Amino acid sequence: MNIYQPKNFQIVKIIQETPNIKTFTLKPLNGDKFSFQTGQFIELTVYGVGEAPFTPSSSPYKTETIDVTIMRVGRMTEVLHSMKEGDIVGVRGPYGKGYPVEKFESEEVLILGGGVGMAPLRSLLLTLIENIKRYKKVVLCYGARTPQDIVYKHLFPEWRKVKGLEILRSVDKCEQGEWDETVGVVTCLLDKVNVNTTNCKAVVCGPPIMMKFSTLKLLDMGFKPENIYLSMERNMSCGLGKCGHCQIGSYFICKDGPVFTWEQLKNIPEPFE
Amino acid sequence: MQKVVLYTDFVSKLKEIFVKSSLDTIFYLPTTSYRYKKVVKEEDFYNIPFTSIRMIDPIKTFLFKHKENLVSQDIPYNQISTIYVVGVKSCDINALNVLNNMFITEEYVDPNYSYWQKKLFIISSDCPYPQENCFCSIIKGTPYPVSSFDINISFIDENNFILESGSEKGEEFLSTYFGDKDSPTKNDIEKRNNIRNLAVRKIKEFNKEYIEEKTSGMSQEVYYKIVSSFEQHQDIWKKESLSCVQCLGCNYICPSCYCFLIRENSNSYKEQFRDRVWDSCHSTGYGRVAGGANPRKFKFQRFRNRYLCKFVFRKENFGFYGCTGCGRCIEVCPAKIDMRKVIRNLVLSKGEQVLV
Repeated sequence: MNIYQPKNFQIVKIIQETPNIKTFTLKPLNGDKFSFQTGQFIELTVYGVGEAPFTPSSSPYKTETIDVTIMRVGRMTEVLHSMKEGDIVGVRGPYGKGYPVEKFESEEVLILGGGVGMAPLRSLLLTLIENIKRYKKVVLCYGARTPQDIVYKHLFPEWRKVKGLEILRSVDKCEQGEWDETVGVVTCLLDKVNVNTTNCKAVVCGPPIMMKFSTLKLLDMGFKPENIYLSMERNMSCGLGKCGHCQIGSYFICKDGPVFTWEQLKNIPEPFE
Repeated sequence: MQKVVLYTDFVSKLKEIFVKSSLDTIFYLPTTSYRYKKVVKEEDFYNIPFTSIRMIDPIKTFLFKHKENLVSQDIPYNQISTIYVVGVKSCDINALNVLNNMFITEEYVDPNYSYWQKKLFIISSDCPYPQENCFCSIIKGTPYPVSSFDINISFIDENNFILESGSEKGEEFLSTYFGDKDSPTKNDIEKRNNIRNLAVRKIKEFNKEYIEEKTSGMSQEVYYKIVSSFEQHQDIWKKESLSCVQCLGCNYICPSCYCFLIRENSNSYKEQFRDRVWDSCHSTGYGRVAGGANPRKFKFQRFRNRYLCKFVFRKENFGFYGCTGCGRCIEVCPAKIDMRKVIRNLVLSKGEQVLV
């Protein structure tokens, strides 16, 4: 098998999450199963247009299909968003190292997501929910720009019912009467969180600016650098640690990451942007 | 295995291999115009400049093509059995160590690279006359290859070579074609080593401005440690990168730069086609992600990245520098940026703080 050649997957379902975010459910065309660890990423090809990295947002316990939640921001995602159920795309992977879920056992876990950065975190959350009793406490803080930009709206009511899972949400701005939860950037939710910061594990994923300020805030709150897990999603191109695009210091995000602790990144110049 | 061979015998043997082989064997020879020449006729073996410095083309051009197909079914040139590249210098051989570590890992073997690697037969040679831009022995290299070649040529005098095998393929080559020749005597080795030492001294002489005087006796290790601690000092990097026009020349000509860009050009999922081209960390879009965020938005960041990549990151990964001191980037730069000067300036400006 050529490491650069994608396998064909069929789009079996498309959910419009927000005006510019869709979740695509993909199924291997040859009927194979697709296994991955939560946090690992795939290279998704729109044939003739381009290839880009995405982290599946579905549970790794589900192997018949994978979900990828994708925002329309560039050339490739523009075309992807115009595709219909039944269309064929290419998938390579999974690549990289996922979230070290085993290290979270018997610990408090704080998940911090911003915008479409919720996609890989949904996969993590579903993994944690599967065995929620193994963790002392799971807190999800999720922020989006406006109430319309919130992804997985239909899943939140279900998640709120899960015992041992606490959910806090915020939006940057909203019309009056439109939103009855917190208004403000996602880091302001951290003031409301009640966790033991010296041992709690924090998992952060979102746009670079949000990752930066969340990390600073978490450090300020007393989180240890080795307990802050960041999803560094750069423009991984080959996924194999060869093409060089995703280098961050001496690490290759595609093979050493995409999940890093702040301990690993703190000495690298300008890790976010 | 080591054998003493006359210059004329060696060349006529190469010629013989060429004549006897069919089209599946290709020879590349060094020339006085510093470009590898593909041999097409017997006369091409006339006057091979074995003692010349490295050619302009880095060795990577034989293994990692500027543009190559990644998934197309027909492997091009699959009739080739061996590609002899003659006169490869140690700076290129050392660069191969970087490329091999990148392209052939335990997890993933690059199919194109390993395809070409299997075909390649490297006949390297010592570099007795280094030029002013050479600095291999300043950064832990030597002006003569020590491993990773098939056959290496070193010089006893104008007419006599020592041929040394460095691989199984090379061992076989040597015993097949020169099995009857003598092994070098102690005297031969001594003469050879004198020539080698002279080359090392020459390089030291060319580079004394960059290492010895201005850095007041700092060891090389300390010298590069200081460079690595310079990550955060934006002002110095901004100043040094001021004249860089980002032509990407240094990346493309570098024997150990390996970055590439994958281009997806399929007609459909049934008719897949993608290729890759060399890419460069100096280009603005290299690190940019969809949506426009760019981890190395400014020129000084990209400029700095090249130095950190060569001297810090690859050292952390593999235990040796990514730069092999071939000096090509110095020659190619339209802004006359000299890697050694940049490093010296960094060390000097930091020096005051360090030495206090």
